[in-house]
Amino acid sequence: MIEIKGVHKRFNPGSVNEVYALRGLDLSVADGEFVTIIGTNGSGKSTLLNAVAGEFQPDEGTIAIAGRDVTVAREFQRAALVARVFQNPFLGTVPGMSVAENLHLASLRGGAAWPRLGLTRRRREDYRDRVRALEMGLEDRLENTIGTLSGGQRQALTLLMAVMNAPLVLLLDEHTAALDPKSAAQVIKLTRQFVEDRGLTTLMVTHSMRQALDLGTRTIMMHRGQVIEDISLAQKRRLTPEDLLERFAELRRGEQLTDDMLDQLRRAYV
Amino acid sequence: MELWVGAIVLGLLYAFMTTGVYITFRVYNFPDITVDGSFTSGAAVAAALIVAGVNPLTGLLASLAAGAFAGAATALIHTRFKINGLLSGILVMTGLYSVNLHLMGRSNIPLLQHATLFTSLDAANPGLPGPVWSALALVAVMAAFWLLMSSLLRTDLGMVMRATGENPRMASANGVNVDRITILGLALSNGLVGVSGGLVAMYQGFADVTMGVGTIVVGLASVIIGQSALRVRSLGGQVLSAVVGSVIFRLMIALALYLGLNPIDLKLLTAAFVLLTLVLSQRVGKRQGKPFALAGPARSRWAWGLAVALAALAGWWALGQGPAPAPGPEAGRAKPLVGLIQLTDNALLDITRDSFAQQMRALGHVDGVNIRLDLQNAHGDLPTVNLILDKFIKDGASLVVAVSTGAAQAALKKVNDRPLVFATVANPFIINAGKSDTEHLPNVTGVYGWTPMDKTMALVRQIFPGPLRVGAVWDPSQANAVFNVENLKQAMAACPDLSFRGSTVAGSGEVYQAVQSLVGQGVDVLVLPTDNIVYSAFDAVVAAARPRKTPIVISDVERLADGALLALGYDYTSSGRQAARLADRILKGENPRDIPFERYESLTVGLNLDVARELGVAIPPEVMAQATLVHPAPQAAPGPAQEPAARAAAAATGRGKRLAIFLFADHPVVLDSLRGVQDELSESGALEELGLEVVVKSAQGEMALGQAIAQDLVRQRFDYIITLSTIALQLSSQFNETIPQVFGTVTDPYLTGVARSPTDHQPNLTGVATFQPVEAVIKNAREVFPRAKRIGMAWNPGELSSEACTMLARKVAPAYGFELVEANVTSTAEIMEAVQSLLIKDVDLFFLSGDSTMLSAFDTVAKMLHKARVPLLSNSCADIERGAFLSVGPDYYNVGRRTAAMALRVMRGEPTQGMPIESYVPETLCLSRALAAQYGVTLPDSVVGRAAKAGEGR
Ligand SMILES: Nc1ncnc2c1ncn2[C@@H]1O[C@H](COP(=O)(O)OP(=O)(O)OP(=O)(O)O)[C@@H](O)[C@H]1O
Ligand SMILES: [Mg+2]
Repeated sequence: MIEIKGVHKRFNPGSVNEVYALRGLDLSVADGEFVTIIGTNGSGKSTLLNAVAGEFQPDEGTIAIAGRDVTVAREFQRAALVARVFQNPFLGTVPGMSVAENLHLASLRGGAAWPRLGLTRRRREDYRDRVRALEMGLEDRLENTIGTLSGGQRQALTLLMAVMNAPLVLLLDEHTAALDPKSAAQVIKLTRQFVEDRGLTTLMVTHSMRQALDLGTRTIMMHRGQVIEDISLAQKRRLTPEDLLERFAELRRGEQLTDDMLDQLRRAYV
Repeated sequence: MELWVGAIVLGLLYAFMTTGVYITFRVYNFPDITVDGSFTSGAAVAAALIVAGVNPLTGLLASLAAGAFAGAATALIHTRFKINGLLSGILVMTGLYSVNLHLMGRSNIPLLQHATLFTSLDAANPGLPGPVWSALALVAVMAAFWLLMSSLLRTDLGMVMRATGENPRMASANGVNVDRITILGLALSNGLVGVSGGLVAMYQGFADVTMGVGTIVVGLASVIIGQSALRVRSLGGQVLSAVVGSVIFRLMIALALYLGLNPIDLKLLTAAFVLLTLVLSQRVGKRQGKPFALAGPARSRWAWGLAVALAALAGWWALGQGPAPAPGPEAGRAKPLVGLIQLTDNALLDITRDSFAQQMRALGHVDGVNIRLDLQNAHGDLPTVNLILDKFIKDGASLVVAVSTGAAQAALKKVNDRPLVFATVANPFIINAGKSDTEHLPNVTGVYGWTPMDKTMALVRQIFPGPLRVGAVWDPSQANAVFNVENLKQAMAACPDLSFRGSTVAGSGEVYQAVQSLVGQGVDVLVLPTDNIVYSAFDAVVAAARPRKTPIVISDVERLADGALLALGYDYTSSGRQAARLADRILKGENPRDIPFERYESLTVGLNLDVARELGVAIPPEVMAQATLVHPAPQAAPGPAQEPAARAAAAATGRGKRLAIFLFADHPVVLDSLRGVQDELSESGALEELGLEVVVKSAQGEMALGQAIAQDLVRQRFDYIITLSTIALQLSSQFNETIPQVFGTVTDPYLTGVARSPTDHQPNLTGVATFQPVEAVIKNAREVFPRAKRIGMAWNPGELSSEACTMLARKVAPAYGFELVEANVTSTAEIMEAVQSLLIKDVDLFFLSGDSTMLSAFDTVAKMLHKARVPLLSNSCADIERGAFLSVGPDYYNVGRRTAAMALRVMRGEPTQGMPIESYVPETLCLSRALAAQYGVTLPDSVVGRAAKAGEGR
């Protein structure tokens, strides 16, 4: 479903702020796979998701979704295939518009927006049913603006909006990180439910080792813009969060010596 | 009335623009400056097409397209090249200036001679006053527009637009092509701005390349004001507040004007007002915890209260700053205070007030010099009357003047320790001011008089002999009305074949029904005794009487033109004048106890022949012979407006005349000319002879202000208007169709569309055309510089008069063997470059004609040329002292005198229609000997002989 081959990305190339975020990343995700992604801070997880979503074009390499090369397609052109939920609950919805209007916007994904009154009473009823399934009591607040909702409610709605038009790929970037534990649990529950019901190909970034192991069919670990560990479902069953943490600790220890020295050498000689 | 309705009309026309600004500013969060350019583009396209004979509606659609095109350009620059939105707008706005000039082909397209949407609108007028009809029609259009816009924002497309504005990242992730939607939004917004520009051009009668300047500020201010005033969050409410904000904004300007605010302070007040609304809305938001929460009724009341308080404050301040500056406390003590109070905005009372003030001046009591005159109006609110009286007493008034029975009644109660003079009171005895003319309250005197109903009925009998049912309507709570009705009944009692039908009302709202019931009872004639309430609803009386063609007889001569057949009443001017004479005696030390009450001196009999014809009433010659005032005035040009009647009324009643001198900017040339006008007026003795009051109004170079002043002149029914400068003429001629107007300091009146030839001009205006003596300059230059080949000329294509000069120079220069080399400037910032570029092209001479952009940097230009030893030619002798070599100029002081002389002919009764436009160019040739010596030029004797002045120069 997703084929990423040799993708490189440098931000602010040539300036003092240059960041080499993706360094020849390869990743192949099969249809229906649910991949959880872990990695150190700044290892390029979000950048990977942004690359798939089309927020920028990679400097090198190709990205294909469902067999179509989308390397140069812009974000809105991929929106019919790819849906996403951001870490920031404020980003996924329009705060000044009502719940129903936001859902309606999501329903327009992949189609054209004409000047017609598309948000009909029947549509509203449909949205009400969908919102009811979130079990957050939002079915009575369809006309309230998003700005009046809590972060958890917003994130659940964003998730609902993301899966509304049956995308092929779902991208979740630490979408529960900004939530309180109770809301986070509810959103995770919904995530699992949506992904399993629809068999969506999913990439989910998380900082919770437990989540990474509990959820999904595969886990990858990223470091310095590359995938350094690819853990299959069978392996996942055997691993504990402690094992993963140990792996991180190892990385950090190693990093101090080798990477710093490597960097210095690179600067001096390359 | 016209002022306010006019302001509403303007507000509605500009509302398309403010809605556009709302879309970019609020929906898209995009600071779009393009508006200043696209507004003009809309106007330019519409005007150019209309002149080309295209249907105005098509023209307006083209305005929409032009605006949309401009907006799309800004959005494209912003999205494609990732250039900051503000900067993109500035770029497009700047570029549009040239585009607009190309579209128009010149800087100003007059539309006076062409049919516009407003011509069609007027044609469909069912008989309402013009501005009211326009306002009503526009309200209907605006309602439809509002519905369209608020539904549009609710559609799928609208939602996508709103999402793009509020959260572009989310929109993009949801498959919205953010760039394209931004382009669409800016195109829509500027399209609306273009429509607004097109409509304003049609309304004001011309498109001008500078008319868009400052539009964005007005738009933003309107949106902010509207939102704070309405405080509704629904989409419909938001769009509505943009519309309402636009209207409030125009009303604010009208208010400032109405208050006589110094126009210079208008901008400052606008800024302060917007700032305060912003701060207040924040405060209110914070107090409630949520900055943009839905406004409860309580809160909006709170906000309104503050706004009103603010407006009151501004008003108070403005009054203080107005034409009658409040003297300091020390100065004030020496000058006695005369407080005048009137009850309502009744036209009669206004006349009394104005004639009082004028007569006081004539008697040597000049406000701010030796007395303080405080003119107050309670606007029909009795509690306010008492407030005002309290204020007079608190301020230590030496004399109180009460105009109208209601005010006099309240004053009699409050004022007992100082003199009180009443005026325009029907019967002072029924309000217990005294028992007879000589036996009265010791501190009170005044002028009074009631309409002799017996004389009225005698005239009615002459017109309608035979048995007659007479109907009357009055408000029994009005003491003087009851008194007048009694008089009427007594006058009728003498004739047995007259029968009386009465109907009483409790407020002006019931007048229509009351008259309807009388008409239904089959009365033959309505005789309305003086009653302020009924008279204030006189339009309703006319409307109710129309179906059965029932004639109306009133006692208010001023309302004759509004649909009455016969008016018999006192002259309220004499009431004011007589009251002023009484006040004069009291101020000079006489005791009011010893001054008897006076009755009005003169009576006016007015006939409306239009109404007579309409009703099929034949006016017997003996009645005709008694008439002192006939409407429509016999000599006046036939026209639908009421002004001729008002004018005729003024003429017949001998009220002092008022002349307005309207200038567009305080430019030195215009001020020269103004001095000429003033000198001519005062030296001719006309001021005293005609009892002329002169008011000077300057628009300070501000187009919107100019429009408002032009409307205001018509509203105030000035008797004559003099306009100085081309734009003042254009603005004034658009709104003034009836007041005799004389223009001066105009280079080419034929370019403005008010005239086609000296004799073929708008009937109510004539004036003096002063072409710059361009040819004379070039001719003399040829004699002085026989070997010179090239004349350089820099000019601003945005100036209508400058354009005229340049075109003339282009024509004349080759005839004298010169080649004209031109450079354009659009602002003072470009002048040095332009002059430099011409110097590089080796010009032998430099000609600076009537271009005000160039003139504003005259010294700089002169210095540059002096350094390059290039002689400077100009069109004003004053320039010789500042470094010109040779000048042939019209002497604008004398142009002003000539203009005033023409105006005097008009004031002495000559109709403007028959007066051809005069071409008057008082040419004066001036030379600089100093420069001639420096440059080694020998001045030919022939030229020196012609020169009025061969100055030393620099
Ligand atoms: N748009 C951008 N411009 C410049 N630098 C960027 C941009 N996006 C990401 N980076 C840099 O690229 C590197 C990788 O960032 P990324 O957000 O992908 O890390 P991450 O793995 O998601 O980290 P975290 O766990 O903190 O979310 C970081 O150093 C970041 O600062
Ligand atoms: Mg991240």
